[in-house]
Amino acid sequence: MATPTEQKTPSFMTSMCFGTIEEEQILPYPKTRPQDVELLKNVITSLDQLLKPHEKDFRAWDRAGEMPPSMIEELKQFGMFSLIIPESHGGMAMNATCYSRTLQEMAKYDGSVAVTVGAHSSIGMRGLVLFGTDAQKQQYFAKLASGEMIAAFCLTEPGSGSDAASIKTTAVKDGDHWVLNGNKLWITNGGIASFFTVFAKTGGQAERGNMTAFIVTKDMPGVSVGPHEDKMGLRASSTTTVHFDNVRIPAANVLGEVGKGFKVAMKILNSGRSGLGGGTIGVMKKLLALGTKQAKDRTQFGKPIAEFGLVKQKLGHLVVDCYATESTVNMLNHFVDSGVEEYAVEAAIAKVFGSEAMWRSCDEMLQVAGGNGYMCEFPYERIMRDARINRIFEGTNDILRLFISLTVLNEVGSSLKELSDSLKGIFDNPIKGFGVLSDYARRRAAIATGVKREKSHFTKLHPAVQEKGTLVEELTRDLAAAADRILRKHGKNIIGKQFATKRLADIMIDLFVLSCTLSRVSTAVQDKGAGNCTKELEILEVLSGQVRRRVKSNFNKIDDNDDEHIKSLANHALELEGYAWDNI
Amino acid sequence: MKILVTAKRVEDPESKIKVKPDGSGIVPEGLKYKINPFDEIAVEEALRLSAAHTGDVVVVSIGTKDVHEQLRHALAMGATKAVWVNHTGALDQLAIARLLQKVVEKEKPDLVILGKQSIDDDQNQVGQYLAEFLGWSQATFASKVEALDSDAEKNKQPGLKLTADKKGLTVVREVDGGLSTLECSLPAVVTTDLRLNQPRYASLPGIMKAKSKPIEELTPAALAVDVAPKLTVTKLSSPPARKAGIKVADVPALVEKLKNEAKAF
Ligand SMILES: Cc1cc2nc3c(=O)[nH]c(=O)nc-3n(C[C@H](O)[C@H](O)[C@H](O)COP(=O)(O)OP(=O)(O)OC[C@H]3O[C@@H](n4cnc5c(N)ncnc54)[C@H](O)[C@@H]3O)c2cc1C
Repeated sequence: MATPTEQKTPSFMTSMCFGTIEEEQILPYPKTRPQDVELLKNVITSLDQLLKPHEKDFRAWDRAGEMPPSMIEELKQFGMFSLIIPESHGGMAMNATCYSRTLQEMAKYDGSVAVTVGAHSSIGMRGLVLFGTDAQKQQYFAKLASGEMIAAFCLTEPGSGSDAASIKTTAVKDGDHWVLNGNKLWITNGGIASFFTVFAKTGGQAERGNMTAFIVTKDMPGVSVGPHEDKMGLRASSTTTVHFDNVRIPAANVLGEVGKGFKVAMKILNSGRSGLGGGTIGVMKKLLALGTKQAKDRTQFGKPIAEFGLVKQKLGHLVVDCYATESTVNMLNHFVDSGVEEYAVEAAIAKVFGSEAMWRSCDEMLQVAGGNGYMCEFPYERIMRDARINRIFEGTNDILRLFISLTVLNEVGSSLKELSDSLKGIFDNPIKGFGVLSDYARRRAAIATGVKREKSHFTKLHPAVQEKGTLVEELTRDLAAAADRILRKHGKNIIGKQFATKRLADIMIDLFVLSCTLSRVSTAVQDKGAGNCTKELEILEVLSGQVRRRVKSNFNKIDDNDDEHIKSLANHALELEGYAWDNI
Repeated sequence: MKILVTAKRVEDPESKIKVKPDGSGIVPEGLKYKINPFDEIAVEEALRLSAAHTGDVVVVSIGTKDVHEQLRHALAMGATKAVWVNHTGALDQLAIARLLQKVVEKEKPDLVILGKQSIDDDQNQVGQYLAEFLGWSQATFASKVEALDSDAEKNKQPGLKLTADKKGLTVVREVDGGLSTLECSLPAVVTTDLRLNQPRYASLPGIMKAKSKPIEELTPAALAVDVAPKLTVTKLSSPPARKAGIKVADVPALVEKLKNEAKAF
């Protein structure tokens, strides 16, 4: 087994794939700082006052498919667009912890409102925060904070979704300006934004992936937006096309470096994940409140349905999913806030796990509500429609799974001396086909081979959870062995082996979520005593059981699987464009 | 015009409130807290008056450091400064009124506005005691003629009106079966009823501004008030759970049940 010895501190999950548990990165479980708690309590109190009176409106706006300008105005007045802007520019200067929690609270009320605010701060203007020059910040921050300008993030195009490197929008230098031409699709806030972070090719037709980020404003001649899209969910949030027809952009509006736009886009998406993660937690908490009440109020067979095992099963699983997601998202926020540099894999894990846990919860609580759940009079169907997009946007969960495992496989691969030659270069090119992956996968690290075993155990866990710590240690060895085995098995062909790659990602997702939850429960027991943490210990019991069974199963499937048959059947269906066995 | 208002920390009525098994209090876990809704109306009224007549709004709360949350909220709504009377443990209404009296004597406002009662203990005493101790005029249960969806309310006009000579206050009070209007001289103590106004929410910029506004700390000892309670709460208990209802087949069956089981007539 190999071990990383790079200069940069590797991410928690990268270390795990080498069999190393960097426990000080996750233990003790991070506590929200007192000043953040105070700020959040005030923000949440006000937010409730802002949103509660609109509860009926949210449903009406969903039906109408649009939010009235008066609501946007109210959000502006409230200061909702100022969350991550520095105090000196009239903003709230929120760190990831506070930002995530604020979006959590909004998501409890309405997905469309949360995404309107989230798209502005998480992605629309995040590039300005991360890469903006002082002059750019000076020019735009105050207007963005007051909501005078609302921001949108323009990457996707009709022919370019997951494969972001394939965009066709171009920007050509002309004196001290760039001339922008192209069309963007499904841009959140498109209809209400006047500040656009736009990605365009700046490297000529042949040079794939050479792109640059620009700040484009609505007042520049040649900028136009299409009509409001009619969507499955988030219906009241503005989604439109955005068009650029010979738009002249001052050279001073380049965001980050010319030619480094792909990296800018990926950094923005990474850094914005705490908002999406927060939203998933808010929805799950809301569903738990709705589902428990529904289960107690509804009587069948002479009893409240809450007394039936299969109803309890759904509620119990939701508790575990919600706690596990919260533990993971909070840990991610802590990484961001404490200046950890490498957290892209962990951020992707939080997005994938949170959006899927939320989706399960929507489905199960709708089931608890029965036919009522299917009625538009009740909130379940709307929550479910609104939730679905989270598995698609900001990187589909499929693409993110490939990203999660290929990122660490790249590091593991570099460390395997005997494989290093045969692997050389494989991540340089084909991976660009995966869009989001390339930037990370191209990283090269000097990793020596050799087995270092001193960091393979937990030493800081509370004895009450030590047994679960031992399980994580064991599964970590499985993970490292799996990474090693998959690479040896597929070598250079790993890029084409998506089944295997996904399997490794699933093991990593499970292990990170369990590690975060273990840390949280251990710290809770330390602080409050085991007697006051009985429910949290039960959550850990359930989650660790689930994870153990899933990881073992995924591990076994590396060698014992039906992958080739499944592919063959898919090919068969693709050829027929349908089903072959009708029985009449 | 300087106005002093109170902001008591109370349990949010929307959180699930459970009495401890031994009846010594309520279970604190999982509870949310907020400004007593009547006090929030007082803060709002003070802000409207001070906006109309220029002046400061001082907000007072008594309790542990936890009350900073409510003080900050009032500051974020727009109050100028806060006074925190640091005290741990139970207080009765008399002690609270004595503490407020001392704070008022220190701050010398022209007007004190408090909630008519707090939604946790529902005592409805402090405002009246305070006016008595100060020897000021008092007007309780302040309301207003305009409805809560009127233009006056939308334009955030105060319901309490200064008299032409600015030496008095016109207060519309809610009484059984109607409204009574009275005029009192300043300084005065006013307590608020529910229909006086619709409190604003604190905007995010307001919350940021509140961070740097001062919170002055005082203690009962520094104010020379003996807060030993003359009234103690000995036990709390939940109201008995309601029994489930039943469905009856028709009206005669209902009459029969009402007569023979409920003994309603
Ligand atoms: C409501 C909404 C709001 C949006 N807001 C924005 C926004 O503000 N800004 C913006 O730029 N974009 C936005 N988008 C676009 C969104 O980010 C894209 O939809 C998303 O990236 C996926 O791209 P796509 O839809 O083209 O799907 P495709 O890339 O066509 O993918 C289709 C399917 O193929 C799979 N797939 C693709 N490539 C691979 C591969 N290499 N290996 C395995 N599977 C693969 C995907 O996982 C997916 O399941 C929004 C979309 C929606 C619906």
